[in-house]
Amino acid sequence: METLLEEHEKLSRKGNLSKSVEDVQKTIDLLVKARDSIVANQNSASVTLAKLQNPVKQSFEAINSDLKDVYKGLGNYSKALDKKFRDKPLPTTDYDALSSHPALINRAIAMHLLREGQFSVASTFLTDATNNPPRPELSSGTPKPYASLEVDLGIDSLKSESLRKQFANMYHILHELKNQQNLLPAIAWARENTDALETRGSNLEFELSKLQFVWLFTGGSNPDDARSLLFGQQQALGYARQEFAHFQGRYLREIQQLSGAMAFCPNLAQSPYRRIFHNEDAWDDLANSFTREFCSLLGLSADSPLYIAATAGAIALPTLLKLQTIMKEKRTEWTTQHELPVEIPLPPAYHFHSIFVCPVSKEQTTDENPPMMMPCGHVVAQESLARLSKGSRFKCPYCPSESRPEDSMKLFM
Amino acid sequence: MAAELTTTKLNAESHLLLDQPLLRLPHEFARKNFKIVQKHVERENKDVLSALKSTANASLAGQDASKTVASLDNMINRMRGLKRKMETLHSEEKALHQASRKRIQHLQNLYEIPSLADVKYDEWSRVRLNRLLVDYLLRCGYVESARALAREKGIEELVDLEVFVQCHRIEESLRRKSTQECLAWCAEHRPMMKKLDNRLEFELRLQQYIELRRNGQLVEARQHAQKYLTQHAGTYLEEVNRAAGLLAYRPDTQVQEYKKLYSESRWDDLAKLFVNTHHELFSLPARPLLHIALSAGLSALKTPSCHSKHASSTANASSTTTSVCPICSTELNDLARNLPYAHHTKSYVENDPVVLPNGRVYGRDRLLEMSAKVGLDASQVKDPTTSVIYPASEIRKVYIS
Repeated sequence: METLLEEHEKLSRKGNLSKSVEDVQKTIDLLVKARDSIVANQNSASVTLAKLQNPVKQSFEAINSDLKDVYKGLGNYSKALDKKFRDKPLPTTDYDALSSHPALINRAIAMHLLREGQFSVASTFLTDATNNPPRPELSSGTPKPYASLEVDLGIDSLKSESLRKQFANMYHILHELKNQQNLLPAIAWARENTDALETRGSNLEFELSKLQFVWLFTGGSNPDDARSLLFGQQQALGYARQEFAHFQGRYLREIQQLSGAMAFCPNLAQSPYRRIFHNEDAWDDLANSFTREFCSLLGLSADSPLYIAATAGAIALPTLLKLQTIMKEKRTEWTTQHELPVEIPLPPAYHFHSIFVCPVSKEQTTDENPPMMMPCGHVVAQESLARLSKGSRFKCPYCPSESRPEDSMKLFM
Repeated sequence: MAAELTTTKLNAESHLLLDQPLLRLPHEFARKNFKIVQKHVERENKDVLSALKSTANASLAGQDASKTVASLDNMINRMRGLKRKMETLHSEEKALHQASRKRIQHLQNLYEIPSLADVKYDEWSRVRLNRLLVDYLLRCGYVESARALAREKGIEELVDLEVFVQCHRIEESLRRKSTQECLAWCAEHRPMMKKLDNRLEFELRLQQYIELRRNGQLVEARQHAQKYLTQHAGTYLEEVNRAAGLLAYRPDTQVQEYKKLYSESRWDDLAKLFVNTHHELFSLPARPLLHIALSAGLSALKTPSCHSKHASSTANASSTTTSVCPICSTELNDLARNLPYAHHTKSYVENDPVVLPNGRVYGRDRLLEMSAKVGLDASQVKDPTTSVIYPASEIRKVYIS
């Protein structure tokens, strides 16, 4: 990158038109001077013109040589670019399964914009996309078995409107929470969705109420004012009496801790409860877990899938490119259309589902070929199991124990 | 840990696959700019020198001095015109250099980030996504959305709004059955097109010919053909011959090869041909970069679980301890359906996996933590996916190799 920067530096310093513009001006000066002298002395016309021929010619030569420098500069920069990207060709798009589904891409983009809080861009985009629906392109080699989906799943303006409202609500709650330290909208939301949250095993509602209690107890928005501190503590007590009752079943221990802490009131900072009352990350943590729960209840992941996928794609491309080159050299093709032929090294944060690779066949398990656990607790793929057992008693490939195929149990990873 | 280090290491050099057009485009425009300057200078050079010579000769032959001054004025005006044009092109050149510089620096930033897990990489990658989105929107012709997104994200210097706006305008003019704009574009870019196959201009002229024939203007059609088509007979002999034959067939002909020439869909083909020529000329990939990134990314992330008829035990929406898999999320699920899933050679499961009586596998810690959170005592566990409660004694250890 440094060489490229240098080469470009050189180009913009030397390879520009400023000098040739100057030389054009010089030619103009020559012509003007000649004209003036002819006007002054009409008899000198032919002599002046004869004398003018060579200088004008030379000044054009000067302009051309200026241009040659620019040309050279552009050429050098071109070479530097070629060198930089020689081993990085743009991936060919022989296998482009996406161009036949522009409506799905548009939907993904609309949702991405909404979840990122780009409401005005999103609404411009929806108008653009509805007025000019994309033209699906059938690229060769791309099956299109879901033709009917295109129609059903296009940008459904009604649905995106409700989605927009949802996300607008989410950003409103987050804004209040983070910037105004106002937990009430978040608590109200959690209370509305209390059943859904509870089935997910989320304690968001309690955590929010707890932080509200702590916030009141430590003086609310004026923690340094002694009077508001006292008032806040009374408020906190009132809040606890009113709200904590219905948490008693699940969160009795936490509630006891909070009430225990009150005994240390004057110097909480030195008490064992310090962590509860002086946790600076509490707000950010809660904001994150609120976002996660909110998106999950909509069936969406907390981070934009479009962002994760595009980033994973950029990470995967070098490997895929290498594969392409090798396949071209060896003139082979993928044998498995449903699975990539190489492993892509993604960072651990990009692993979401559990993966089971059968230790016998080295294949990933699927719906058709699920993982099976033998009574000893070892697992192989169903096809491997069938091959090992041939229907009768067989030995586990990992330990001495023997079992029958029907004793094995299907697993869901 | 070692594996983790290798998978999070950021190799900037190989990471720039998607970013070539970012630098190529302003450079191609700088070159185009220069070619225009060259053309102007060449013409004035020739004309002014020969005018100067003939004026000198005329003056020697005793031409009136006022006429001599007039022709000198003429030359001066032409040179001033040249200077004005060059100054405009010079300021464009400056802007292009500035843009290239900004872009090189943007790419340079990537070299200073050591790890894919770095927050800075996250930022950089988000900028990249926005760049790819703007590129995609522009290619769809959603100019307003592209402009709004670029403005909102402050990446105007990293995207090429005007280039695509112009391209789109000409594309639409072809779909509206007008050849004028595109022919003007061809004329402007002729100096750069030589190295490329110049099929576009021929096809445009052919279309004009077809339209003349369609309107029954046979004489004009013949003249047009002589002026613009016959010169291409060397390269496009077959097409030229067929065009000649068209004179004998009326627009309602049923003869396949002539019916094809009269077809309305030729305009769409022309529009596509123009876009392809345009992109090739400016080193732009034929397909949106977003498609390239997404095809690769969707496959790299996809697992057999993502489109399984059984809910996955991990990364699903029903449990609070894991985040939803992006492929399973509504945005991308249908899009990823046609793509191959990632290849893995090793199993990847949660720590200390255990199995419930229904066959669902979870990490022991996650299962217990989750059960405690829903208020169960230690003797019971709840399946986070199906919400069925089992006695803790029925948990079995499973060995995943």
